[in-house]
Amino acid sequence: MAWTPVKGADALSPDGGVMAVTIDKIPVALYRFGEDYLATGNICTHQFALLSDGFVEDGCVECPLHQARFDVRTGKALSGPVNKDLDTYAVKVEDGQVFVDVTRPAEIAETPADNRIAMTEQRDQRCFVIVGGGQAAASAARALRDAGFTGTVKLFAREQALPYERPPLSKAILLGEAPLHGPTLLDSADAAELNIELHLGVTVTDIDAERKVLTASNGDNHAYDQLLLATGASPRPLPIAGADLPAVHSLRTLEDAIAFKRALQPGRHIAIIGSGFIGLEVASAARQRGCEVTLVEAAPRICSRALHPMAALRVHKLAEQNGVRILTEVQTTAFEPADGGVALKLNNGDTLRADSVLVGIGVIPETALAESLGLEIENGIVVDRFGRTGLDGVFAAGDAAVTRRQDGTLLRLESWQNAQEQAAAAARTMAGQDTAHDAVPWFWSDQFGHNIQMLGLPTAHDQMVAQPGSNGAETLYFHNGERLTGVIAFNDPGAIRRGREWLRRGLSVDALNRLLENTAGGAGESRLPAQLRRGTMSDLSNYYVWPREGLTRVPDWVYTDPYIFELEVGRIFHGPTWNYVALEVEIPNAGDFKQSNVGPTPVVVSRDQDGDINVFVNRCSHRAAQFCRDLRGNAEEFVCPYHQWSYDLKGNLAGVPFRRGVDGKGGMPKDFKTCDHGPTKLKVTTRHGVVFASFDHDMKPLEDYLGPDMLREFDATFDGRELKLLGYYRNSLPGNWKLYHENLKDPYHATLLHTFLVSFGLLVAGNKSQMICDETGLHGAMASAKSDGGTVSEENQKEMRAYRPEFQLEREDMLDFIPEFNSQWSVTMLTIWPNLIVQREMNTLGVRQIVPSGPDEFVMNWTMFGFADDDEEMTRHRLRQGNLMGPAGFLGLEDNEAIKFVQDGMKRTQPGEHLVALDPDTPTGTADTLISESAIRAMYQSWRQALDIE
Amino acid sequence: MEAIKKNPAAPGLDQGQLVHAIERFNTDYCRALDDGRLHDWVEFFTEDANYVVSGRENHDANLPVGLVYCEGKGMLKDRALAILETSMFAPRYLRHFVTNTYAEPQDDGTIVAGANYMLTQVLMDQPTATLHQVGCYLDRFVFEQGELKLKERRAIYDNLLLNNDLVYPV
Repeated sequence: MAWTPVKGADALSPDGGVMAVTIDKIPVALYRFGEDYLATGNICTHQFALLSDGFVEDGCVECPLHQARFDVRTGKALSGPVNKDLDTYAVKVEDGQVFVDVTRPAEIAETPADNRIAMTEQRDQRCFVIVGGGQAAASAARALRDAGFTGTVKLFAREQALPYERPPLSKAILLGEAPLHGPTLLDSADAAELNIELHLGVTVTDIDAERKVLTASNGDNHAYDQLLLATGASPRPLPIAGADLPAVHSLRTLEDAIAFKRALQPGRHIAIIGSGFIGLEVASAARQRGCEVTLVEAAPRICSRALHPMAALRVHKLAEQNGVRILTEVQTTAFEPADGGVALKLNNGDTLRADSVLVGIGVIPETALAESLGLEIENGIVVDRFGRTGLDGVFAAGDAAVTRRQDGTLLRLESWQNAQEQAAAAARTMAGQDTAHDAVPWFWSDQFGHNIQMLGLPTAHDQMVAQPGSNGAETLYFHNGERLTGVIAFNDPGAIRRGREWLRRGLSVDALNRLLENTAGGAGESRLPAQLRRGTMSDLSNYYVWPREGLTRVPDWVYTDPYIFELEVGRIFHGPTWNYVALEVEIPNAGDFKQSNVGPTPVVVSRDQDGDINVFVNRCSHRAAQFCRDLRGNAEEFVCPYHQWSYDLKGNLAGVPFRRGVDGKGGMPKDFKTCDHGPTKLKVTTRHGVVFASFDHDMKPLEDYLGPDMLREFDATFDGRELKLLGYYRNSLPGNWKLYHENLKDPYHATLLHTFLVSFGLLVAGNKSQMICDETGLHGAMASAKSDGGTVSEENQKEMRAYRPEFQLEREDMLDFIPEFNSQWSVTMLTIWPNLIVQREMNTLGVRQIVPSGPDEFVMNWTMFGFADDDEEMTRHRLRQGNLMGPAGFLGLEDNEAIKFVQDGMKRTQPGEHLVALDPDTPTGTADTLISESAIRAMYQSWRQALDIE
Repeated sequence: MEAIKKNPAAPGLDQGQLVHAIERFNTDYCRALDDGRLHDWVEFFTEDANYVVSGRENHDANLPVGLVYCEGKGMLKDRALAILETSMFAPRYLRHFVTNTYAEPQDDGTIVAGANYMLTQVLMDQPTATLHQVGCYLDRFVFEQGELKLKERRAIYDNLLLNNDLVYPV
């Protein structure tokens, strides 16, 4: 193949335009600079990414994935995670037509590079030794030559393998997508060309710093002039019994990776201890290989060392979405052999059975040699910005080194970039070109198909601005109130590229905000919802870290943060909870159904021909249509109107039109089975006519879920009598859904807000009353017994500004309590976590279902009922008394207003905390006084556990 | 033109005059509510009047519950007192728009009537009015001492999902 014309090249921007073109099956990137055209291979030599999607600047192209940079003219790899150059191809222009010849490299006048030529002429007599064979060692070897050092360079590596890249060990190598010899950092040809003397499989056992002679493990002595300690680090061992079992792995070397790769067989169960990047990347690879994966993390949240809590939360979700089971705050106390695998003994009493285990709990810097030299060690070999230790002629770099920064603080970075660049700086300094390593810290991780990159070192006190991009990309920017301090990008390498420059410039917060407005494309439309934007501008310590005062404070983000809400949906509404969905009286007959919700998720509740109640997600398996549209009804089956996929009353996919195609053409794949494609079904339970459902099929019985106290109160209302449906109210409520629970765990408000109640003596501070909690604090019953207004003591009257003894009702019978329940209480408001309130306000009865739609809004569905044996007068009494409750009720409307006021307050003021400190004698749980908030505190104790909020 | 019916409920009024009379009644009724004069609002009803505000789903399914459910003028008075004197809510303005009025005199001396209504609500911190309810009045009127009074009013709203709450009567 010779010259191939390329169409459309003239349409490229003359200012570094780039296009992808395939010539003779070779992917080529064609660039334009003015009237010059250049061509290189289009695939990054690091990992698979198209350079034509990257950035062209200053004659270089930068890979969009990990920022490898190449000189377009020479193909030379310049920086970033690459050492291998790009191929270049010859380009010519004739009569305005651009031609590329992929059989020939570009004809570039090679700049007489360098030093290597000079080596033969004026050789330096000195010998520099690099101890180590990893990233830092290889980088230093190259940098010594690049800096013009012509003397002897000796490299001692513990491993037999040539220096290789470690990042693929936890990614491509495990997946079998990279050759097992890995991408080498320094192959034999490189070593020969650079004249590096490789001593592979040889360690340095002793150094005589005075005589400048080292002893190698093979007994040889080598004199040296300068020394670089690039000894790296080794995996931190887990000091527990059984850590030496063959099925317990660590991952640091190629050998480790090859051994562990064998363990990743489909269907095997892999336990990973530690949730840093290694753990998560291995989890990702293991899932991709079809393994079951459990991640065991001792800390309360994953990735707590490497990532800001908000970023960690996203990673957590990503891992869970990809089927990784995550256990936090769980420690492994021992490994025991168990039929071919390992049994992990956990400190929560459980035993976890795994086929193989990977321990990824960090690394320990290798400092033994440095210690023998008497060097300063502080969790690593202390060096200055130039890589110099305290001992003349001895340098250190990479994972083994810790840098004393200009402000005196010490920083050790375990990263590819640090190993590469710190070692290069040290090597240049050794060669006489004093070079400080001041690069902006940069990390990356690829997991579950996502690319995560981090720049800078934002602290927990920095403030954050989140900016979503397209296709699920998101970037988090951190600043200290004055300047940008860090960037974390999810699937947005472009943001990292911009952020690197911004960080280098020390971008001010004002400038950051302006730039973000501009890059958001429009007047901030694509930015986060107002709540989050406002919240993220607040002090980060408000984020996901509970106030240090404990449960007497509740931070605003609990009620306003969209990510907290997402967590709540996943862990609470879709988690191990019983959610109210219906009363049986609404669907008495076969074929009866109603639409309902579990959390925000729409479900269908139906009674099938067997009389059983079924609950399934109202989403067509085909194209996700919410197929059931009627609030209630009776049907023989459900048919999605879009393509007529049909579902039976049990929620099974029953029919797929044209499943076999027409005339033998089209249709579903042969192996398609309807039974594999039904909507998600929920576990269902009923008690005394009330229907509950759960996404968790391992749910314990409702009776155990409620506990004895709540069950007693539940049964007082639902005492087994047949119910009679009286009707519905529905209202939206512009507040967080938990505020409704809290309102009913807050008997304090009842005496103060509800003037009506107090004016007419329905509830006063002196009344017999109790705020009852279950053991978890999630459920509660606010209970009181009616008394006459006349009994209010003067002392109590003073406390209650609402008390108005002069008020008289025309129809006092509206407030009559006709005893009908086996209970000491005339009123109970039962909150059953997470979505049900059972109202027994004397004789007006109802259930309220919470349907949250976001952090700051929910829908309340009220179903009012009586009993089948009520006579007409009793029904009317219930209806009349109903004026107390509901969204137009004398009390009900006040609660709705108050909750809106609370949410408005949070929305419109600086984020802060709620003060929930009443009744310190009862820290949490059941309170015997109405002037208490112990039930709210009890609820948050469990809520925090459910969400892993420290 | 429909001939003047012999109309025991509204003697001397033809159909057009009757509809007009009910329209004027509704105008006055709505003015009282729009002005927040709830004690005046009570006086549009007979002593034994029923007044219910309920969603259309309840009405269609013959479910008796009401957001507001009053049997007799006493309960209307109690509601007016409760809302004006005891209830806590953010200040708001409401405005009623009534149209499509009809009237059907009955042999028992009552008049079955109805109209569509829209109810707008303005909160002090919002620039726009929201359509708080859209629905219909299903009424039964009587003449008392020559004045129309509501013996029954059912305000049946179509937008089942109420925005937070309903403070004032409809």
